[in-house]
Amino acid sequence: MLLPMMKIQIVGSKEKLEATLRAMQRLGSVQIQDVAEHGQAQVLPKLSLDANALQRRDQINPLVARLGSFAAILPPGIKAPEHSRAYEAASLKSAEELIAEAKRVVDELGPKSQALALRGDELQAEQASLTRYQATLRKVAPLAAEFPRLAGYETAALLIERRSAAVLDLVRQKLSEIIGDNFELSARHVDEQTTAAIVVFPTEQSARVNALFGRENITPLRLPQELAGASLTDTLATMAQRLAEIPRDIARVEDDLRQLAASWGSSVTVLRAALTDRSAQMEVVGMAGGTRYTFVLVGWMPRRDLGDLKEALQRQAGPEVLVGEIKVGREEMKQVPVALANLPPVRPFEFLVALVALPRYGALDPTPLMALFMPLFFGLILGDIAHGLLLLLCAVVVLRLCRNQTYRSLAQVMVLCGFWSLLFGFLFGEFLGALGRQLFDLKPLWMERSGATIKSLFAFALALGAAHVLLGFALGIWEALRVKARKVLSERLGKFIALIAVFWLVAVVAGTLPRDLTTPGIATLIVGIALLSIPMGWLGGILGPIETLGLISNVLSYLRLAAIGLSSFYLAEVANRLYGVATNVAVGAIVAGLLHALNLAMGIVSATIQSLRLHYVEFFSNFYESGGASFRPFKQSGV
Amino acid sequence: MDINTGLLAIGAGLAVGLAALATGWAQGRIGSAGAGALTEKPELFGSILIMLALPETLVILGFAVAAMIILLLKAGG
Repeated sequence: MLLPMMKIQIVGSKEKLEATLRAMQRLGSVQIQDVAEHGQAQVLPKLSLDANALQRRDQINPLVARLGSFAAILPPGIKAPEHSRAYEAASLKSAEELIAEAKRVVDELGPKSQALALRGDELQAEQASLTRYQATLRKVAPLAAEFPRLAGYETAALLIERRSAAVLDLVRQKLSEIIGDNFELSARHVDEQTTAAIVVFPTEQSARVNALFGRENITPLRLPQELAGASLTDTLATMAQRLAEIPRDIARVEDDLRQLAASWGSSVTVLRAALTDRSAQMEVVGMAGGTRYTFVLVGWMPRRDLGDLKEALQRQAGPEVLVGEIKVGREEMKQVPVALANLPPVRPFEFLVALVALPRYGALDPTPLMALFMPLFFGLILGDIAHGLLLLLCAVVVLRLCRNQTYRSLAQVMVLCGFWSLLFGFLFGEFLGALGRQLFDLKPLWMERSGATIKSLFAFALALGAAHVLLGFALGIWEALRVKARKVLSERLGKFIALIAVFWLVAVVAGTLPRDLTTPGIATLIVGIALLSIPMGWLGGILGPIETLGLISNVLSYLRLAAIGLSSFYLAEVANRLYGVATNVAVGAIVAGLLHALNLAMGIVSATIQSLRLHYVEFFSNFYESGGASFRPFKQSGV
Repeated sequence: MDINTGLLAIGAGLAVGLAALATGWAQGRIGSAGAGALTEKPELFGSILIMLALPETLVILGFAVAAMIILLLKAGG
C-alpha cells in the first residue's frame, strides 16, 4: 500500500525557525521541498543564512569530517545507552557551544589519536616489510656464510630468476674487465625459481660495480636503512627479534586506542551527530522562503502524521507556527514522494519491488501480490521437502542471530519460500529427488514430477501463468479506468480479451469445448486484436497480431516453473544414482552429498531469479506504473 | 525404435539445445554489458536483472517444442 501523502506549508515568525526545524527534524516525517520549486504563484523571496550562520556552517563541516575520521580510527564497541540522552542534551545547545565543544575534542583527541594511528600503521608496515626481507635473506644466508667479513670490502646480494641464471657469467666477465681478479662471485640455486648470488668487491669500486648492475638491469638486494652495514647473520637475528616485538607494540597501540575510545568515543559520536543535524538544519534554511519577519517552509508528509507534527510544533515552537495543507495539482502529482506501508508479513517484499523501481504515487502497489505469488512460484520450482526444511532452518537461524535489517528481510522472504517448497515437496512426494520414495516410501499427495503425470505439471504451470497474466491485465484495466486513460484501457482490455480467446480456441482444438464454439472464439479474438490495435493507429493492423503472439509467449514463459523444477529433480536423481553405483559407500555418500548441495544452491538461486523475472517481465508489464521518487524525510542522523 | 522415432528425439534435443545456445550467447553479451554498467550505477541492478532474464524465454520456448515432440512420441507409442 502507498502511504497517502499531503503537501504542507509551515508558516511562522522568523525567531521560531530554529525551534521549528529542531521539532521537524526530531519528528522526521516531512520531506522539505525547495520553496522555489513550489509553483510560480507562491514564489517567495528565499531565506538565506546571515554572515554569522554561514561562518558557523563553514566551521561545522570540517569539524564533522574530523570527528568522522576519529570515529574511523577509534575501535567500535562503545554504544552506551546514554548516547541518546547526551544527544538530546547536545541538540538543545547553540551552534556556538557545539562548535566550541567539538573544537576542544578535536584539539585534545586529534594529536593523540593521530599519533597512535600513525604508529599503528608504521608498525604494520614494518612488520610486512621485515617479513618480506626475512624470507629473501634466508635464501641468501647459506651462501653468505661462506664468505668471511673483510675490512675494505663490500658485499652485494643478488636474487635472479633461475631461468636467467646465465646472466651471472656475463656479470663475472664484466667484473673482471672492470676490477680484474679482485672480487669473488658465488651463486647457488636456492629454490625452484630463484638463484642467489653474493658478490664481494673492494669498497672503493662500489660506484663502478653498482653502475654495472644498473646497466645490466640487476637490482641488488637492499636492506632497510637501519640494518645496512650489518652482516647477514646479524641482520637475520635482529629481524627475528624485531618481528617478535612488533605484535606486542601493535597490541599496546590498540590498547591505547581502546582507552581513548572509552574516554572520548561517546563525545565524538554525540557531537558528530549533533553537528551533522545542525548542518542539515542550515541546509533546510536555504530551501525556505520568507519575508522580513516570517518564514515559509513547504514539504511533503504522510497524511497520518499531520496531527503529530502540529502537536510537536505547538509544544516546541509555540502557537506562532502554523501548518496548512496545500492542494496538489494534477501536474504536481509526479513530484509526490512515495512511501510504502505494508503489513509486517508483506513488508520484506518491498525491497524486491524497489529493485526495479518504486511505483508512481497514486498507482497500485504490487507488493502484496508479490508476497503472495513469488514464494508460491519459488516453492513450485524447488518443491522438495529436504530443500524446504533446510531453507526454513537457515532463515530461522538468520532471524534469530542477525540484526542487519536487509538480511532479516531476506530471511523473512525465505521463510515463506521454504514453507511453499516444503508444501510442494509433500504434493510431489520429493525428498532429495526420489530418495524419499526409496527410503521411507514417501507417496506424493498430488502427483509425481516425472513419468506420465508430467503433462499435468506443464498444464498446471501454464494455468498458473495464464491466471497470473490475466490478473495483471485485470489490475491494468482497473488502473486505466481509475485514471480515465482511454488508450491504455483499450490496449489492456484488448489484450485481456485476446488472451481469453486464445485459450478458448485451444480448448476447442483440444476437444474440451464443443467445435460449435470455434466461430464465436475467432470473433472474440478479432475483437480483442482490434481493441489492442486501436491505440497503435494505422500500424495496429500489423502490430496487433504480433502483440497477440507476444501474449502467448508471455504465458508459455511460465513453463519455466515446471521446467526448472524438473531439472532440479533429475539432478537430485543423478546424485542418488551416483551413490548407488559407487563401490565405496563413503565416497558415494560424499559425491552424492556434494551434488545435492550444489543442486540446492542452484535451486535457490534459479528459483529466486525466475520467480522475480516472471513478476518483473510478465506480470508488472500489464499494470505496473513505476517512476516514484522515494520519500526522504528531514530527520535526525541518529546516534 | 524406428528411424522416425530417433529423428524426432534428435529434433527434440536440437530444439532445446539450439535455443539454449542462443540464450547463452545473448545472456553472455547482456551480462558483460550489464556488469560494466553496474560498476558505474549499482542502482540499475533490478533493470539489468530483467534484461539478463529476457532471453531465457527462448530456451523455454525451445523446451516447450521439445516437450511437445516427446509427448507426441509417447502418444505414438
